[in-house]
Order: sequence, then C-alpha cells, then structure tokens
Amino acid sequence: MGITAEYNSTAGRVVIDENEGHPGIKATTLSYGQINDEMLAMLDKPRPSYYLLLLGFLMALGLGVLSFAIQVDVGIGYSGISHPIAWGFYITNFVFWIGIGHAGTLISAVFYLTRAPWRTAIYRSAEAMTVFAVFTAGLFPLVHIGRPWLAFWLIPYPNERMLWVNFKSPLLWDVFAVTTYMSVSIMFFLLGLIPDLAILRDEAARKGKKLKALLYAPMALAWRGTNHQWVHYMRGYLIFAALATPLVFSVHSIVSWDFAMSSVPGWHTTIFAPYFVAGAIFSGLSMVLTVLIPIRAVFGLQDYITNHVIQSVSKMIIFTSIIVGYAYAAEFFIGYYSGSPFERAIFYYRPFGEMQSWTLLGENQINFPQIAFWLMVFCNVIAPIPLWRWKIRNNPLAVWIITILINIGMWFERFNIIGSSLQHEYDPASWGEYWPTIVEVGVTIGSFGFFFTLFTLFAKSLPPMAIMELKEGTNPPMKHAAKKDINE
Amino acid sequence: MSKFTGVWAIFEYLDETTETIEQVREQGVQPTVLMPCPRHEIDHALGEPGTLVPWIALAFGALGCLIGFSLPAWTASDWVLPVSGKPIVAIPPFIIIGFELTILLTAIFTLLGLFLLGFIDTCRFPIPKAAKKYRRFQRDRFGVVVRCDSSRIDEFESIMKKNGAEEVHVEKE
Repeated sequence: MGITAEYNSTAGRVVIDENEGHPGIKATTLSYGQINDEMLAMLDKPRPSYYLLLLGFLMALGLGVLSFAIQVDVGIGYSGISHPIAWGFYITNFVFWIGIGHAGTLISAVFYLTRAPWRTAIYRSAEAMTVFAVFTAGLFPLVHIGRPWLAFWLIPYPNERMLWVNFKSPLLWDVFAVTTYMSVSIMFFLLGLIPDLAILRDEAARKGKKLKALLYAPMALAWRGTNHQWVHYMRGYLIFAALATPLVFSVHSIVSWDFAMSSVPGWHTTIFAPYFVAGAIFSGLSMVLTVLIPIRAVFGLQDYITNHVIQSVSKMIIFTSIIVGYAYAAEFFIGYYSGSPFERAIFYYRPFGEMQSWTLLGENQINFPQIAFWLMVFCNVIAPIPLWRWKIRNNPLAVWIITILINIGMWFERFNIIGSSLQHEYDPASWGEYWPTIVEVGVTIGSFGFFFTLFTLFAKSLPPMAIMELKEGTNPPMKHAAKKDINE
Repeated sequence: MSKFTGVWAIFEYLDETTETIEQVREQGVQPTVLMPCPRHEIDHALGEPGTLVPWIALAFGALGCLIGFSLPAWTASDWVLPVSGKPIVAIPPFIIIGFELTILLTAIFTLLGLFLLGFIDTCRFPIPKAAKKYRRFQRDRFGVVVRCDSSRIDEFESIMKKNGAEEVHVEKE
C-alpha cells in the first residue's frame, strides 16, 4: 500500500494514510500540538471519583502501616513466621513485587532495543509501575527482618572490627541486584521524563500559569530541545536501554538464587533463574494491563493504547505463560528424575498434601501450600489459554479479568515455592505448618495500597504517556508532501 | 555569557527546517536547531553530529567492573574466613557484584555525562533569550538559530525567509 498524503487545511497538517504509520498508535495523523493538548488534558483537575479511589488506596495503606506498627511493637513473633518456616508472606510479597517491577524495564528497554513500536503508548506507565513496585518490594526485607532499624547492616561497609559483609552470600547479591535495579529504573524513568517536563513547563508558561511553570522549570533541568541536547540524550537513552536489558534478566535470576543456592528440596534447582525471570515478566505484563485497561477507559485513550497494544502484550503473556507452565512440569520431572526421596516428597506434598494421610475423600490435611499450588496452576497455566483466541485478546474486559487472575496466580506461585519447601524439609521431626497471621495479611494489603496510591498520584501529576515519543511516532509536519497532494 | 548576535527563525514544517539547515551549513555556519522531538531528518541535515556519551559510559563501566571484582577480593583477603577448603578469592560469586557495579556506575555516569555535555553545549552554542521565551518549540514548532557577525545577518535572514519561516528574528548586540 502506497502512502496517500493529503493536506488538511483545518488541522493545518499533512494527513498520511493511517495504515502506514505507527502500529501502536491509531492516530498517527495527530499533529504535535494535538498530542500535547490531549496528553496534558489528562493532568487536569481530577474528578471526585479520583479522590474516592485515592482514599480507598490510602485506607489500604493505612491498614498496612497499622499492622506493621503492631508487629514492631509486639515483635516479629506476632507474625506466623517461626521455625522452620522463616520465610512467609513477607518474602512472598518481596518476590512478587520485584516480579511486577520487571515489566516496566522490559517494555521500556528491551522493546526499545528490539524496536517494538507499540511500546510507546504504555512504557511510561509501565516504568512508573516498575519504580513503585520496586519501592514496595524494597519495604519487605525491612518488614521481614523484625528489627528494621538494623537494616543498615546489609550495606557493604565494614563494622567496627573491620569485618565486611559476605560477598559470597546470595542474600548480599540480592542487595546489590535489587538496589542497582532500583537505581537504574529510577534514573531511566527520570531521564525519559525530562523532555516531557520541559513541555509541561512551556505549556504552563504559554497559558500564563506562572506557578506551575516555576514548579516544572527546575525539574526540566534547563531542557530546550536543542539538537546538541537531543544528540547526547538519545545516545544516553540508548545506552540506558542497553544497560537495563541485561539487568531485567539478572535481577530475578539473582532473586531466584536466594532459593536455588540453598540445599532445600524444591529450591535447589538450576531451572530457577529462567523460571523466575519468565514468571516475573509474566506477572509484570499482566499488572501493566491490569492497571492500564481501566486508565484507558477512564481517560478515553483508545486512540493511543489501541487494541493492537493490548493484543501485543497479551501475546507476550501467552508466551511467558507457556514458559512458566513448562517450568512447573519440568520441576516435577526433575523431582522424579533426581532419584532424591526428599525432592520427590516435596513435589508430592505441593499438590496433594501429606503423603500418609492423603485419601481422595477421607480425612485430608489440605494445607495452605496445596491451595496455593492449585490456584497457581489454574491462574497461570489454564486461565491464560483463552488469550490464544483473537476475539478474547481483542476484548479488553476479558483480557483485564484474565490478567487479574494471573496476578493472583503469580502471588500464589511465589508462596507455593517459599511456603511448601520450608514446611517439609528433610527431617519429618522438624516439619512445620504455616498460616499467616492478621498482621501479615494487613501488611500485604497495605503493600497493594502503597503501590496503587503511588500510581494514582503519578497518573495525575506527570504525563502517563511519553509525549515526546508519541510525537516521534506520528507523522511529522511536511509542507512539500502537502503541496504535492493538493496539486494532484 | 556574551550577548547574542545573529538570526533565529520559527518553522512549522520539518522539510522547510531541514532545507534551511542545509543552506545555512553551505555558508559555513553550523546552526543550532530546536525541535519538539528528535528527528533523523534534522540529524542528516546537520551532518550526523557525534557525542562523547558512549566513551563516558565505557570508561565508567570499566571502572565499575574493576571495583566490583577488587572490592570483594580485597575484603576476602583482608579478613580471611576459610570455609572447608573453598577458595578465599572466589571469582564466580564476585561476577555478580562485578556485573551489578558495572551497570550501576555506567548508568550513573552516563546520566551525569549527558547532563554535563548538554550543559557545556548550552554554553558553547547559546540561544537568544527571546528564543528561550518562545514557548512552542516544545510543542509543535521547529527553530533554527544562527550565530553570526552582524555583517552576515541579512544573508541568513533571506535564507530563512526564502524557506518559508513563520517568523524571523534578528538579534544584535
């Protein structure tokens, strides 16, 4: 199909065939000014429903803070964590939120390098999600250690006896991996924001809103959009994308080694790194859609976050769902093939519970890990199957429901890995049982409140889409093409 | 900063902007261009300008890698904790620290480097105050700024007008 260009005199711009432009953005014919106006309109004074939503999230956050305060007051013993289950809800939440934090950098860095143009409309929100999810995850080691005021012991500096932290410990690798990931994600996010903050500054000044302009001016770091600034910026951005790409894959690999480096049955396996990374991308992409589909509906962004974007993310979800499903099956095979009775026992315990007492209808000891296991299989392997159909992928509501199920499933996957193995290690005499207490549930709800509060505030204070990149994706204003068409 | 002498113009269309840039460059002057988003057409017209950012990234990446390996190796040797005959300075676990610090230092200094280079260029190629106050370069207009002697102002003014500039501004000391 050839390019058909025509000059639209009312809009004052060249209109080029929609099909030739940006596959992520339906409205490739939007002018630069229109993109500015439509994006900035999203930052207008919010409706009362926004405040209501924010209040709900703040209440959840308040519940989390209250629960944590009780735990600090009473002591870590108030949680369900006790020997032999030293890692419970908190570490599950930590791994879950780090996983959620994967999609943003994947979308902004990996899809930038692979030139997937549909990323443009969603990468800013996904990046913000990454930063907030990593913030949320970062709270959990502090909540978990019981005495959060001693958290600085993890920082690599020598104590008074000049004894350094143990660089050979996977837990310290995790400290390095997560802090590096958080730092790079924040820098990447802020770097992408600079030209848009300059837009906000100039638009505020243009409309005579001096206070707003004054507020945005220091944040825009004297950005003028000169060719010199753009050259450094674009090359720096490319380097950031290249740096963040291996980081995406390394962070969850290193998180998985927290488990895989130990000799606990069900954890000590070489597939953990790719298994965790696939799971992280799976859950992260699902969370992106869980958050963006309502935003798209509320702000009327169908021209930007097109069905094509939702379809593309859905395809990635199908792909990672297959990897995750395969990993579940492979784990069972490894358990069987290892010949180790402990490995076999744990992979019997996860789906079916206690080996001795299990009968189909009789008295059964179904425990929390068994609920987690079957929820995990249903939500992560079975629930995404409808996405194979084009009709389902093209229906945002159906996709949204599936992504919520996946989020639930991925949370339970983390719990399934952590909880079940610790309950049934080697010696039956030291087996234990874990049920979360009210403070752990409260802190978990609080973490969702924290994440969504930050995201809700972000959606109204900074442009949730990269205005500069949307402009890059649309057709530039060309005089000669217009002249040619008019003459024709 | 010295006062600005030269011409600056506002363009609505990209192709007019690139034509102006090319004609200004033919006169032996490198213009500064303001644009709402990066466009390859403008880079081509400007003769593919380069940047030092990748070299900064490489240098600090190498430094990060060096620190990432030497810090754990030094601390392990400084206070030796033998564990069942395992090597004291063990390379595989240090690869992770080395990798993370390589990425971290590269990222931090790439960011600082691009700000610093941007700042240096802002000083080297100043734009007039009136152009800074024109608020549509971040929105939907392209700007071409030519710094020249007052004797050549007419020459560049006519190039800009000929190429369909919306507005042409002459700045004299």
